[in-house]
Amino acid sequence: MQAESVDFVKFGLFSPDQIRKLSVAKLTVPDTYNEDGYPIDGGLLDQRLGVIDPGLICKTCGARAKVCPGHFGHIELVRPVVHSEFSKVIYLLLQSTCQKCRRVLFDVDSETELAEKVKSVVEAELDTEKTGEEQSGEERVALFKKLKSIKKCPHCGEVQQKVRFEAPSYFYIGGTRMKPDEVKDMLEKVSNDDLRVMGVDPITSRPEYLVISALLVPPVNVRPSITLESGERSEDDLTHKLVDIMRINQRLEQNINAGAPQIIIDDLRELLQYHVTTYFNNEPTGMPPARHSSGRALKTLAQRLKGKEGRFRYNLSGKRVNYSARTVISVDPFLDVDEVGVPKIIAEKLTVPFYITEWNLAKAKELLKRTEYPIVMGIITKEKLRKRITDVNKEEILNALKAGDILERQITNGDIALFNRQPSLHRVSIMAHRIKIVPGRTFRINFCTTSPYNADFDGDEMNLHIPQTLEAQAEAKYLMQVQDQVFSPKNGEAIISNSEDGVTGAYLLTNDDTMLNKEDAIYLLTTAGIFELPEHEKNGMYSGKDVFSMLFPKKLNFDYKMRDGKYLRIKNGRMTDGIMKKETFGGGNLLLAKIALDFGNEVLKEFISKSARMSYAYAYLCGINVGVKEYTIPHAAKTEKDKLVAKAIENVAALVTKYKSRKLEAMVGYTLRKTLERMIIAELDHSRHLANQLMEEYMDKSNHAVMMAKAGSRGNTSNFVQMSIFLGQQATISGGRIRKSYMTNRVLPHLKPGDIGAVARGFAISNCYDGFDPIDMFMYSIGSRASMIYKGMLTAKSGYLQRRLINALQDYQVEEDFTVRDVHGNLIQTLYGGDKIDPVKVELAEVSKE
Amino acid sequence: MAKKENMFEISAGEPVGVIAAQSLGEPATQMVLKAFHFAGLKSEIATAGLPRFVEIVDAKKKPATPFTYIAVDKSIAKDEQKLIRLAKKISEIKVSDISRRIVEEFSKGTIILRLDFEKLEANELTAKVVASKIEKLTKLSCTLEGMDVRITAGTRNIKQIRNMAVQLNKMTINGIDGAGRAAVREDPKTKELQLITDNSSLSGLLDVEGIDAYNIYTNDIFEEYRVFGVEAARNAIITELEKLLHESEISVSRRHLELLADAMTADGDVKNVGRRGLSGEKESVFARAAYEETVKHLINAAAFGESDPMQGVTENILMGKQIMLGTGRVELAVKKEDIAKSKKEKK
Repeated sequence: MQAESVDFVKFGLFSPDQIRKLSVAKLTVPDTYNEDGYPIDGGLLDQRLGVIDPGLICKTCGARAKVCPGHFGHIELVRPVVHSEFSKVIYLLLQSTCQKCRRVLFDVDSETELAEKVKSVVEAELDTEKTGEEQSGEERVALFKKLKSIKKCPHCGEVQQKVRFEAPSYFYIGGTRMKPDEVKDMLEKVSNDDLRVMGVDPITSRPEYLVISALLVPPVNVRPSITLESGERSEDDLTHKLVDIMRINQRLEQNINAGAPQIIIDDLRELLQYHVTTYFNNEPTGMPPARHSSGRALKTLAQRLKGKEGRFRYNLSGKRVNYSARTVISVDPFLDVDEVGVPKIIAEKLTVPFYITEWNLAKAKELLKRTEYPIVMGIITKEKLRKRITDVNKEEILNALKAGDILERQITNGDIALFNRQPSLHRVSIMAHRIKIVPGRTFRINFCTTSPYNADFDGDEMNLHIPQTLEAQAEAKYLMQVQDQVFSPKNGEAIISNSEDGVTGAYLLTNDDTMLNKEDAIYLLTTAGIFELPEHEKNGMYSGKDVFSMLFPKKLNFDYKMRDGKYLRIKNGRMTDGIMKKETFGGGNLLLAKIALDFGNEVLKEFISKSARMSYAYAYLCGINVGVKEYTIPHAAKTEKDKLVAKAIENVAALVTKYKSRKLEAMVGYTLRKTLERMIIAELDHSRHLANQLMEEYMDKSNHAVMMAKAGSRGNTSNFVQMSIFLGQQATISGGRIRKSYMTNRVLPHLKPGDIGAVARGFAISNCYDGFDPIDMFMYSIGSRASMIYKGMLTAKSGYLQRRLINALQDYQVEEDFTVRDVHGNLIQTLYGGDKIDPVKVELAEVSKE
Repeated sequence: MAKKENMFEISAGEPVGVIAAQSLGEPATQMVLKAFHFAGLKSEIATAGLPRFVEIVDAKKKPATPFTYIAVDKSIAKDEQKLIRLAKKISEIKVSDISRRIVEEFSKGTIILRLDFEKLEANELTAKVVASKIEKLTKLSCTLEGMDVRITAGTRNIKQIRNMAVQLNKMTINGIDGAGRAAVREDPKTKELQLITDNSSLSGLLDVEGIDAYNIYTNDIFEEYRVFGVEAARNAIITELEKLLHESEISVSRRHLELLADAMTADGDVKNVGRRGLSGEKESVFARAAYEETVKHLINAAAFGESDPMQGVTENILMGKQIMLGTGRVELAVKKEDIAKSKKEKK
């Protein structure tokens, strides 16, 4: 039964006859088990429908539980009911066909544009037997809209009465409600040709099948009952629902046979309709959902498929895997960027296949004989038999070993693995690393790879996957390895690069006046993994630039104008001018692009790993740390700061007075009040600017926090200002100053009503060093709280946005002629990006131009 | 390393759609809420950051905060007074902007419009002008009684009168329909004076004397589409996205924006990214069902007898098969079976 490959899937409807043919049992007893706990024949767990209890045998196929695929049964409904999920389709068809002759209310031979279109689609469908060109949704909607408005049949001239639909399954024609059998009769009369006009494929989907007279019952495998600890059986929701249907069906039959009054029969029919409706979808419109005896709404067919936890998104789009591991991550600068440290406990449990051929049989035997890590855990023989290897069967397996067998060996140093951190927002969230076995219980990564994963080490966990087939391993190795992912497809900039201490260290080391003695130079170089000294020396001292230059490839030539106007110059692998800082060494720098372009990704990887180690080592030698002392400002600065603050407040007050005495002149396009607001903001902005200047003036070069700010690795002047001078203007998310939210026209009861001065509207004059004033503290909290809430909303929103973007664009690819098309061949772009350049390589292309 | 001519070219089969989606979606998390301000308009803040991104991608018919920058002819560009006059000419003034209330007299079949003197003054209008304008627009007789305009509805039907009153409130007395309020502002870059409105009505503005029709800019993508067509809409999407990303200091290669815009406009009209647009109109039933509105798509597929070619990414994931993109679409020229076959033949 299993298909080798699927060319297409055709959807359609089962006819009652097809259902009866497919069914292995007509079910008649609305119950499950008898008193002995045995499935009742003709009941809902009839053994012909398959078995789920171990030990029982399926009466249809003779197989045991788990082997038997299950078989469908059916229920004969005494009176037909409408399949309410299709109500809307039925409604459309009733509206679109004549109430007398049941022809479609549309003259295909009329010479309108729509008719031509419909005609061509119908013809195309008839031409190609199986997969005709689909009538697009748009045309279909347009057609039905038109049909709805037609009042007189173009074929027989009958005037159409109003058709009305009431959810979930009532249809009225001219005010009288149609019974399901009547609806069925109407739908039966519609001809195949007319159905084609409406876009329905009559071969697979005759509309009268939308009214059910035989109900297909899914096999027990689909609705297994579970045995509780108490030995009690608990049935699946679907089984419950089917029992309900059968009960009412039986009662209806009895009543009809007994000649009960019409009203009772109608009531029962309605009840049957309700049960069938909720069996398909237990969220019916216009009526309450069916509930379990506990009060919980039942989970019926539609609920199983729907939504994030439904069959589609949970089980079909999302796959579960073996050969994977997850644990907390931590840093290890002594790993290369393309390595991942795997704890031995994990390595002992994960395996990678060793494919035996006639040429490596001897090696396989050797491997199998091992008693210490890495050992062989299991074997998959040529006959696809899976066996665990134990001390008992090892000898036997060793003797029977042959080409075509596959050994499952524990992973070890050098094996390739995929490493991933969720949320996987972009492709560099999964990269291939080489495994390195480490002690401990955490995965370890080089610090340079944290940015693509967006990882930190405050308890983050990551996943490891071991690719099993040779194809997967090759793909991982040649396409996904860290060194091949250095440049982001987002903008072509380097995302795997040094940051934080890595930049600080390099900054200090490559400073113009850094000189190192031989001992320190050797320490730095050996830490990086270099075992020779620079050529140039001065009195036994080595310049920091020369030591750092040892990391460059010998033929590297690179010139770069930094933002401050100075040049970074590297000539034949020797750094002569400039300095390593965020701009030149951190994320997005062009130096990495140059190295990648001229020397390849392997060299690039070496450079990143080694330079990181050297930087950390030098930062360590310097003893970089930040404490209260970095933010203590001298007395002179303090008095100046006080003056600055007083001046700012004064200036604002002056503006306010000017405004109140109506002397302020309005700016172009602004009202007076808004002019004032703008001027105040400008004034306070200016005072912050002055504070920045003040800070820069008093900042000591030996201050570690200043060093980091200059290197660009962490912090900037405004951080110092907030720490040591004042917090500055606190703003609302809409950008303005904090407005009154308290009832008496002020932010806090401690302020004067109507005060629009600096402090009263959120200009916080205290700093972190001296501590916060209560009012400043409150103003600061307003901003913090708002941004926190906003951040929470943002993540949820952007997650959904990304899901939508990916879903919309996922089928697009570049063709050999550089056009962009979807998988069906529809043209999206005629030349990718307008220049056919790979987004990963835009920086490389830029560097190559020079 | 040998530098080849085509070494920067993209490889065939590269799933550029996914790359673009990821490149746009990933930085969306980092978007800052930085509103930017306008001078002189009622709503001074324009939507920015993620909400604006969502708005563009959703292909909203009207942005939450539409605005238009209008450059003026060189001859009057320096004269602020002339610009203010032009702004007044453009500014759309509705009845509701100048009236205090509308009284409906159902028994008499009249509607009384009570005008606000101060508001009239501010807009340089007189009650007389308003009355004659209403008369012209409604073709009903209007009489002026002080600050009251009495309109004879010509009917006593309550429903009709109420409808008239509602429509009256929305009636444009002065300016261009849909243009919004105009104000003069200084372009922060060029330092030139220009007009700004808090709505978008390109079609109305283009003919106004004194404005430079070649230098009108609006953030309303659909207005661009309506007036200039789909190519303009595509460019508008790219410009708007680029502006947005630039404001948030996010660097994303332009090619990703172009791909998104091209995808949204590929069929000749502007489609949104989501279940009512690109995703909802996919050929594959399964791809649609796996995305959103699962049951609806399966039901329609069955009722109409649709078929699914099973070629897309989602469909192949559902089946657990190889995806026909990237390395997945390449095949071996000589397969294992072929070798076995040829060996057999040799023997």
